[in-house]
Amino acid sequence: MILRGLLLLWIAAWIVAAFLWAPLVPVLGPTTRVLYFHIPSAWVTVLALGWSMVHSVLYLRSRNLEHDHQAAAAAEIGLLFCVAATISGSLWAKAMWGAYWNWDPRETSIFFLLLVYGAYLALRSAIDQPERRARLSAVYSAIAFVSVPFLVFVVPRIYFTLHPDPLINTRGKIDMDPRIRVVFFALLAGFTALFFWVQSVRVRVARLERRAEER
Amino acid sequence: MKGDLVVMAVALLVWGLLFWYLIRLERRVAELEKK
Amino acid sequence: MPTEASSSPAAVWAILRKECRSEWRTRYGLNAALLFAVTSLTSVSFAVGRLGDRPDVLAALLWVVLLFAALASLSHTFVREVEGRTMTLLRLVASPTAIATGKLLFNLLFLAVIELVTVPLFLILMGAPTPSWGPFLGVLVLGSLALGTGATLVGAIIAQTRGRAALFAGVSFPILLPVVAAAVSATRAQWSGGSVAVELRLLAAYGVALLAASLMLYDHLWED
Repeated sequence: MILRGLLLLWIAAWIVAAFLWAPLVPVLGPTTRVLYFHIPSAWVTVLALGWSMVHSVLYLRSRNLEHDHQAAAAAEIGLLFCVAATISGSLWAKAMWGAYWNWDPRETSIFFLLLVYGAYLALRSAIDQPERRARLSAVYSAIAFVSVPFLVFVVPRIYFTLHPDPLINTRGKIDMDPRIRVVFFALLAGFTALFFWVQSVRVRVARLERRAEER
Repeated sequence: MKGDLVVMAVALLVWGLLFWYLIRLERRVAELEKK
Repeated sequence: MPTEASSSPAAVWAILRKECRSEWRTRYGLNAALLFAVTSLTSVSFAVGRLGDRPDVLAALLWVVLLFAALASLSHTFVREVEGRTMTLLRLVASPTAIATGKLLFNLLFLAVIELVTVPLFLILMGAPTPSWGPFLGVLVLGSLALGTGATLVGAIIAQTRGRAALFAGVSFPILLPVVAAAVSATRAQWSGGSVAVELRLLAAYGVALLAASLMLYDHLWED
């Protein structure tokens, strides 16, 4: 209970710090604050995906449905964070460069992750038996593991060479100011803790659902 | 400056609501687990 | 139950021959796939006309047609078994990996036949410039191998779900996208005289990775 209160205060405090204490990045102006939300969201998206895939493989080895609960829960939560990252990124792009969507490498990568999550969850929704659902989605997760590096690192570059973008993206140079860095990492930690908390709740729900089914 | 504070307030509000929702959800789950 | 010998190349070859024979008996799948490919090709050609001066669009269209043809046909080997309930029988005789490899080889053969018809038709109908045959065929071969490998695995997965056809496209898309992206880029490059080395290496690497993962995963696909 204390931990949850701590999380509440931690994130709240650093939100305030983001607005009142940390400076703005000159190039970004007032939209600087988006990075404190957008990048941690993207980070959790990747974290959740990794968590889900690891548990998928663990399921295939042990056939313990606990791993399936973990994998499915992480995928659902990951999807939410992925949507958050995509939308915040898009709004940010609009504010900064005038267009909601440019297919620049990073936007493309996050969109592909959206597709992977969507495919995984769509597959799960099409299977009724728990064991078969766990098994088939785990196999898919494992194959997606091969695809993700290509989707995130390679394909966006291909697209980019096909459509060179005149817009210059300066997001790489952000974390120079120490205050910005502090707030950023603090919120990164906060988002990570949030993920694990929501994940644990979702897994508990999954266990309850299974219990109800077994009756 | 004012606009900044409004956005900050909204962000805090959203976080607060999300937190409250999660706490309630967790309480409900705990109840169901006891049965 | 499957013995040592039933995982061997002999088993794979036997499965492959069985698939070919089943397919040849009705030719239903082949006809449907060819019809599908020709239809999509015709629609594109009719709507867009000759695109000799747009290698970028040509490259994209070619691979879109091939992708759709693959999606329309490559899950049938598995769906047929599930619907005919012959899967259990098959598994008594051979290991899951052998079965899947046999079907994979069949799918690759199937894809090759479709492309033999579709690609020349495409080049002619769309008024495409003459390809640099070496690179062009290289992309086709490596791209098709990767496409077939990925589509076969996903096909095997979705054959056991409800709502298969609808699901196949969406679920396989993230897996097949790297192939299509690299293939389109390379196809376009070879028409513009550029190098396709990077994309070919990519297609090869991805294809091998998919194949390796598939071979490890097929064992887990059917366990009842």
